[in-house]
Amino acid sequence: MTAMTADLHSEVIKAFHRKEFTTPVVGITGGKGGVGKTTVAVNIACALADRGVRTALVDADVDGPNGAILLSVELANPVAVDITVPQIDEQRCNSCGDCVRACRLNALFMPRGKQPQLIGECNGCEACILVCEPGAISRGRKPVGMTYLSRIDGLSLYTGALIPGFEESSVVVQAVRERAFGDAAQFDLILIDTSPGAHCNVINALRGADTVLAVTEPTPFGIHDLELILKLLDLLDLGGSVVLNRADLPGDSRKVKTIAGQHGRGLIWEIGMDDLLARSYAAGVPVVREYPRAPSSKVFLQIAENIAAAYGI
Amino acid sequence: MKEIVIISGKGGVGKSALTAALGTLLAEKHLVLLADTDVDAPNLHLAMDTRLTDFQEIAASDKAFIDYERCSGCMTCVETCRFSAIMAAAQPVMMPYSCEGCGACALTCPEQAIEVRPVVNGRINIFATSGLPLVAGELSIGGSSSGRLVDQVKRRARQEGEHCQAAILLVDGPPGIGCPVIAALKGADYALLVTEPSTSALHDLQRVAEVAGHFRMGMGLVINKADIHEKSRRTILAYAEEHGMDLLGEIPYDISVPKAIASGQPVVAAYPDAVSSRQISRIAATLLDAVTAVT
Repeated sequence: MTAMTADLHSEVIKAFHRKEFTTPVVGITGGKGGVGKTTVAVNIACALADRGVRTALVDADVDGPNGAILLSVELANPVAVDITVPQIDEQRCNSCGDCVRACRLNALFMPRGKQPQLIGECNGCEACILVCEPGAISRGRKPVGMTYLSRIDGLSLYTGALIPGFEESSVVVQAVRERAFGDAAQFDLILIDTSPGAHCNVINALRGADTVLAVTEPTPFGIHDLELILKLLDLLDLGGSVVLNRADLPGDSRKVKTIAGQHGRGLIWEIGMDDLLARSYAAGVPVVREYPRAPSSKVFLQIAENIAAAYGI
Repeated sequence: MKEIVIISGKGGVGKSALTAALGTLLAEKHLVLLADTDVDAPNLHLAMDTRLTDFQEIAASDKAFIDYERCSGCMTCVETCRFSAIMAAAQPVMMPYSCEGCGACALTCPEQAIEVRPVVNGRINIFATSGLPLVAGELSIGGSSSGRLVDQVKRRARQEGEHCQAAILLVDGPPGIGCPVIAALKGADYALLVTEPSTSALHDLQRVAEVAGHFRMGMGLVINKADIHEKSRRTILAYAEEHGMDLLGEIPYDISVPKAIASGQPVVAAYPDAVSSRQISRIAATLLDAVTAVT
């Protein structure tokens, strides 16, 4: 790892986050699954939209996109996400085997005395096409996912969905983020809800974010995974605050605050157990709209106000 | 050795807590080995008394490196990369987080200034617990190729399992349905699917069941926090029946579970008489029968 992080200068990170528009981008992540990332994202998005802020919410948890469920909105305006796969022209192929050697995923196989065949997972890198001397390989397309755009009550929801059985989650993450970024001029703010974990899906989703809310809970699992995600955010040069959800679960809230402080995140939003939040979650209506005076709604409205103030929107 | 993988699609439905509890119960009568394949947020070692006894660094990720002595700044690599991993500045800049290590840039570089090299992307931790060893993967911060790291975790777990002649390998899976989940499922005998009564959890369960369905393996369902929303529970039961999925059991919401997690113990050890512990006991027995029936 050291070999990789050592040359990660701030210039690289700056280039990594570079974008062509000025609309602020707020990421919502958390490390551990099931801590309430999507609930936080949906409620903040609605609170902002209800203030008149033109808001895009990007559901970049492409393995399990649930934003539409929590908003009770249909997925609309589908666009297929596909990757390149090699299509070999039998007439032109001279069975030289260069493509098989170029493929680092070992997805191509050439049976003795025959022509190469695609047998494994192809990630669409096109190395085989680049090396094929007789130009026998063309770009075939393989769909791996979909992106959608649904509009509801002043909010635009961009959803990415991986087709079950495929491995290319991060390609779909990139596609849904780029779809929203392409429409950035229409919005005052873009919110991006990531998958759990701290791997390529999360990193790809947070590319271009200006600030990040890290959601967690005070359990040993939540604390452990918060530390992992904050280390990742530090590495990606992403500041922000922490949302401590289900703050009264058995655990150690003080430790959450200590770790957040160690990573320069002094601001902690605390949400306690809230029956009204659970009830609205089950009903598929954001709590800020169903019960605006619920204890959790007050926190979501505050976070929204804080974001609006920070970006003057 | 029978290999059981615990997955859910949605995160936070109780995979690790259930794995720790089931492992503890099954180990009373069988030689059980545990593995944690949620490599980017591994928690199983926190769910029980564990002691780190060994670890091994793993280089299961490839990255391209530019030799700037040779680079002429032609930017052919930038155009070649399908993953937007190289940015054009005064010279090309490699974004290690986006690099898939495919080597297409190295193939097209006219100066042969790019080389693909394996990099350390994580480690395998070996923990001792009371009776059952745990093989846990841990992705480096910012590391990629979690699927390939999971492959390594499973390989090591199988080696350890053969070495100690384990009867059961119980694997805590990652959330989601992508590459680490597929890697966790590969070669397993049985998938234990965990869910909870909510529309989101059912949606994610359906997606992960579809993935598991691509493999030839037995499948059984556990509904956690089964009593938090009756309508959703019924929808899940109907789904399971329609798809011929065995219901291994239901666990009611029980404050003993988060209390046990907070104390770093499986609920069956901390509160053996709790309603959740009794249900998990039944699930362990049903699971054993179901797994034994898989050929």
